[in-house]
Amino acid sequence: MHEASIAASLLEIVSGQCRRSGYSRIESIHLKIGRASGIMTDALIFAFEALKEGSVAKEAVLEIEEVPVSGHCSDCNNTFTTEQEYILSCPCCGGGSFRMTAGREMDVIDMEVS
Amino acid sequence: MKVKVATKILEANDRIALENRKIFDHAGVFVVNLMSGPGAGKTSLLEKTLSGRKDLRIGVIEGDIAGSDDAERVEKFGAPVVQINTGGACHLDSNMIADVLGDLPLGEMDVLFIENVGNLVCPAEFKVGEDMKVMLLSIAEGHDKPLKYPLMFQESSALILNKIDLLPHTDVDIGKIKRDALSLNPKLKIFEVSCRTGQGIEAWVDWLGEQLKKR
Repeated sequence: MHEASIAASLLEIVSGQCRRSGYSRIESIHLKIGRASGIMTDALIFAFEALKEGSVAKEAVLEIEEVPVSGHCSDCNNTFTTEQEYILSCPCCGGGSFRMTAGREMDVIDMEVS
Repeated sequence: MKVKVATKILEANDRIALENRKIFDHAGVFVVNLMSGPGAGKTSLLEKTLSGRKDLRIGVIEGDIAGSDDAERVEKFGAPVVQINTGGACHLDSNMIADVLGDLPLGEMDVLFIENVGNLVCPAEFKVGEDMKVMLLSIAEGHDKPLKYPLMFQESSALILNKIDLLPHTDVDIGKIKRDALSLNPKLKIFEVSCRTGQGIEAWVDWLGEQLKKR
């Protein structure tokens, strides 16, 4: 629901790096977005397309890598990866003593510039 | 040419939140980020808290898309209050808070409540520099809410179930709300209150006082 704020922060991050390093054009931006981050990738792309006009990223394409939810359970000592967005119990043993190790990412990894 | 960026998208927000936090710590004020969907009773809870703990010096930041109704309600209790109008944004972020800190007598306050924009989704994502997040859910919103909006339940230290006086008139399963909320967040402290009748308010304000001492 706040994808527009996220897209604006993203644009600020990549534009700032281009300004500091003297790049004039961004071709693509590689992001990692966790499935439990609450971000809808379609809405993020839509907001980014609207905001990028007139910026150094005006021709940039978002390449979004979705990260599934992973975790470790201290009840059964298993490490798991699941297709679900949110988990309430360990998918291996059903216990509650698990820790999410991935799935909440909202990271800019790298970009193709010229 | 490929260049590394390696930056968290919310890093700028988190950095400003940390700066806010330093200002709060320096002033010795305990900060609560109060969140809920629209109409759950955030301002009513503040009114009850202000009248229930007259011994505490409480200040308020009100966040709304538009209007200043909430700030006017709180001001009647003599509390220092600042209204933020987000002009459409669905949550408060750390920069909006940083902008208004100069308008509050932080050094003369024990507690600062930041009443977030009414929304069960986005406010949970943005740190503002708070000591803790507290959420409200009015029971008439239904027992399916913890599993539909898990992040806020996971991020909060306390869950206040408001409008408990309506329980006999609804089909809501309050046991399910508690079970699901606790499975999302086993450390969650749950209160059943009615801001209308005053039921349960004492337990909430007592607990708030304990959190201040623990700081």
